[in-house]
Amino acid sequence: MITVTSIGGIPYYILEFGDELVYFTPYTITLFLLALTFTVLVIISRPEKQVDIAFGGDAYRAKDISISEMRFRRFMAIACGLASMGAMVTGDIFNFTLFTAMVGITNVGIVAAVKSPHVQDAAYQYGLVALAATVPLFAGAAVYAAATGSLSMIELMNGTLPTVPLIAKAMLVIGVIGEGMAPFYAAKAEMFRAPGAPYVIMCSLSSLLIFLRVVEVVMLG
Amino acid sequence: MIRRISHFLCNYENIVPLFAGACAIIFLAGILMLPLSYQQNQLYPKTIDRNSTLDPYDRGGPPFTQVTIHAQYPENSPTAGLVTSYLTPFSFYLAQTTQHLGTTIVAHPGGIIDEILYNTRGLDTVVEPTILLIAFAIASFLYRKVG
Repeated sequence: MITVTSIGGIPYYILEFGDELVYFTPYTITLFLLALTFTVLVIISRPEKQVDIAFGGDAYRAKDISISEMRFRRFMAIACGLASMGAMVTGDIFNFTLFTAMVGITNVGIVAAVKSPHVQDAAYQYGLVALAATVPLFAGAAVYAAATGSLSMIELMNGTLPTVPLIAKAMLVIGVIGEGMAPFYAAKAEMFRAPGAPYVIMCSLSSLLIFLRVVEVVMLG
Repeated sequence: MIRRISHFLCNYENIVPLFAGACAIIFLAGILMLPLSYQQNQLYPKTIDRNSTLDPYDRGGPPFTQVTIHAQYPENSPTAGLVTSYLTPFSFYLAQTTQHLGTTIVAHPGGIIDEILYNTRGLDTVVEPTILLIAFAIASFLYRKVG
């Protein structure tokens, strides 16, 4: 019988911020490096320009992105990258929910800057979901604190605390689903019509990353 | 069937009701699972002294003598409990005359340091204003774009 003591592996390095430990296991360090690489790519790359071609004719139309819009979306994409990096390596349940909420709001910011009514409608609906998702997200963290008496993932990993109730995990997962819109890519497709490739992909990547991390968090306690 | 589901999902206006329904199911399940166990040995115990003028944030103790602050890893915050409040003359005046200084923690300069908020869980305190900053940045960008 094989017993798994730690889901993500033994931490290589633990960085201490008071009670909030940031730990680098093989799992979290992989996700962290992925977020870091993409953030660097966002910083150095230029946005693509979309070209619409009318079939059956020679007409085409290039969409122009103003400098201020590009700057704002780049700022939001970098903030989103930093928030996902934080969410990847943090070792504290409440800190994880905070970083997840930040990923949600920066995702809204990335698409809200686009000057297309259709995209902005989609961003508005997505913003409503992200707003509502904070309730189960933080409620999940609160139930974690009430049922185990602790918020540290390292302590949850050790198995000395009482088991986390299933409902806390369910709340945490549905909160992350709402913030990252992970299964709702059909709705996010509306946002991907927005011009400016690297920034828009940041929405998708960050939601994927927080979803991968919440799987580890849920399996800890 | 899958085609119909994906057709329903591709209209982004259906996402909010769908998510709201999922949340409602989760919360109903939560109510059904109710009595949840409560761990008596909480990490951050709280005693509230209603007579203190610094009420919800009063961690007690004279200045520069270390008050015991319960923390998960006390060795990581060696200075916790040394200074639990710093009062400017104005906030000292407020603390002397009213009962509400603890509730105005953000509204005046010079105040109360909640050791758990600002010392042992300092990273949270940094992330929270960052979320606020991002929210204000988005709001101001949209406002300037519309106006």
